[in-house]
Amino acid sequence: MQPHLATGFRFILVLGGVVGLMVVVQRLLLLLRVRREAATGYALITPWLVGFLVFTSIPMIASAYLSLTDYNILQPPTWVGLENFRRIFNRDIDFGPAIRITLLYAFLSVPIGVAGALFIAMLLANDLKGIGVYRTIYYLPTVLPEVAVALLWRWIFNPQAGLLNRIIGPVFRIFGMSRPDWFGDPTYVLPAFVIISLWGITGVNMVIFLAALKNVPTHLYEVAFIDGAGSWRRFWSITIPMVSPVIFLQVVRGIIGALQIFTVYAFTNPTPRAGKFMSFYIYQTGFQQFRMGYASALAWILFSIILALTLVVLRSSEMWVYYEGERK
Amino acid sequence: MSQVSGATAGGLAWWENRRVRDRIYKTVSYVVVIAGAAVLTIPFLWMISSSLKPSAAVFASPPQWIPDPVMWRNYIDAWTAMPFTRFLFNTVFIIALGLTGELLSTTVVAYGFARYRFPGRNVLFVILLSTMMLPYVVTLIPTFLIWRSLGLINTFDPLVIGAIFAWGPFHIFLLRQFMLTVPVQMEEAALVDGANTMQRFGYIMIPLIRPALLAVGVFTFQAFWNDFLGPLIYLNDMTKYTMNLGIYFFMGGPAEAPQWHWLMAMSTLLALPVLLLFFLAQRYFIEGLTVTGIKG
Repeated sequence: MQPHLATGFRFILVLGGVVGLMVVVQRLLLLLRVRREAATGYALITPWLVGFLVFTSIPMIASAYLSLTDYNILQPPTWVGLENFRRIFNRDIDFGPAIRITLLYAFLSVPIGVAGALFIAMLLANDLKGIGVYRTIYYLPTVLPEVAVALLWRWIFNPQAGLLNRIIGPVFRIFGMSRPDWFGDPTYVLPAFVIISLWGITGVNMVIFLAALKNVPTHLYEVAFIDGAGSWRRFWSITIPMVSPVIFLQVVRGIIGALQIFTVYAFTNPTPRAGKFMSFYIYQTGFQQFRMGYASALAWILFSIILALTLVVLRSSEMWVYYEGERK
Repeated sequence: MSQVSGATAGGLAWWENRRVRDRIYKTVSYVVVIAGAAVLTIPFLWMISSSLKPSAAVFASPPQWIPDPVMWRNYIDAWTAMPFTRFLFNTVFIIALGLTGELLSTTVVAYGFARYRFPGRNVLFVILLSTMMLPYVVTLIPTFLIWRSLGLINTFDPLVIGAIFAWGPFHIFLLRQFMLTVPVQMEEAALVDGANTMQRFGYIMIPLIRPALLAVGVFTFQAFWNDFLGPLIYLNDMTKYTMNLGIYFFMGGPAEAPQWHWLMAMSTLLALPVLLLFFLAQRYFIEGLTVTGIKG
């Protein structure tokens, strides 16, 4: 109980401190003759501002600095310049496979995931009987805790007794191949992860698509129908443009999520010969080998990739994302 | 071309008939939707089924769908194999504090962004939104070092204190969007009646955005319940482990053969509270997502 009480005590202390700080901010700004509304506004967003400084800005700068040092926690960091990056690109035999499997996973799972979610949302947007039940079922994979999902899939992918191999084992035998050892054989690790991601494509993304589809004005479809547009044409010329802002958001969020997959990897424990996913590699380097500088450099490489991909999607979005609000 | 002539001769060909087409389309939809539902539920049912089998039957071939005999004992055995009661207590403790901090701070911040005009507000809000895109790996190590310099490694603090500082930009965004749909006139009326900021916030805004608060509550609960990396990095003593961390070490290393029926029992237990919460708060869950998805 003692550690709980200690944390509880500090929690209340910090909470009180933040409330106090908010009052001080407001009073101080009023003294500086800031408008009352603005002073209160600044006071209200103070918790986030402080959090942004302490838990985002400072760590960002510190991380950039650490990536240029050698730091093992026990001794103070020593400056090594770009040495970490040189070593990562030239001599790190784990880096290539890690970046490869991480990127391939994102490139495969994100487009399939977004397209799949849209497809299912379109099916569920029809007025089918018992639709509520289906929606609930389709939400299941998202609701299940990640750890439970990872363990469940590890069991389903079990080479001897797993459900999947029991079903597809005979197919593999026809082609004269042995049953895949999903997490033990490097060739199957990536497919296994893509299958897991497929299972999770419903859920949040689907719900958002469903709402977006409901918001497409029906008169657009009616007019197109009268003009003789087929269902294929209506899909590409009405549905896609109208939901394109949602597609855009989901692609960006999907990329960020897919490139940072961690829990499922840790719990399924695939062979490292397939390449470790980047976030796991960073965790191992930083928190198991205590090479904090090197791990920070790896983190910045991953961050740059995420940033670059996001910018590419953002730039291209001008060509394919349609915002209705732009008319205003 | 014969189709066209058929159409001119006796009205429309059957596949051009709208009612027939609609029916075909509907039937196909049903088939796909039901097949999809089956694919989604089978792994889940398999998990429950595996959790109730005697250890010998887990590997039985052909697979046994209905466990016989039903081993309820698996749950007790798995639960007592490690101090899971303690892990559950720790997890609940973390969630209680985290939920309190997150709900208090995000609503206050969202209120500031939704209702008060101040210089730089829009710029700050864009910064807030862009932190949603920030990968956690970049801040992971320095954040760890900050907690370490405070001597708070191997305490629950790093897992919960951050929540006081409005951790989730997405939650702030969600609440703000909801607050913007509340008519300003109500607060103005209260202002005329002499209500101060806190009264307007507490008596008018909070009751009106209850659905959004519930959604944020559910999301926060889920985030803490799912969190694995945080406890893995910050907690060292087994007495402080959370459920996820306990299960991770319960699973054993790559060399050990896991006790699958026990692991599936633990997975089922882990899924239970979240499933329950989802069924109880399903409406708010989906409503919360929908509001942000559309106006995003």
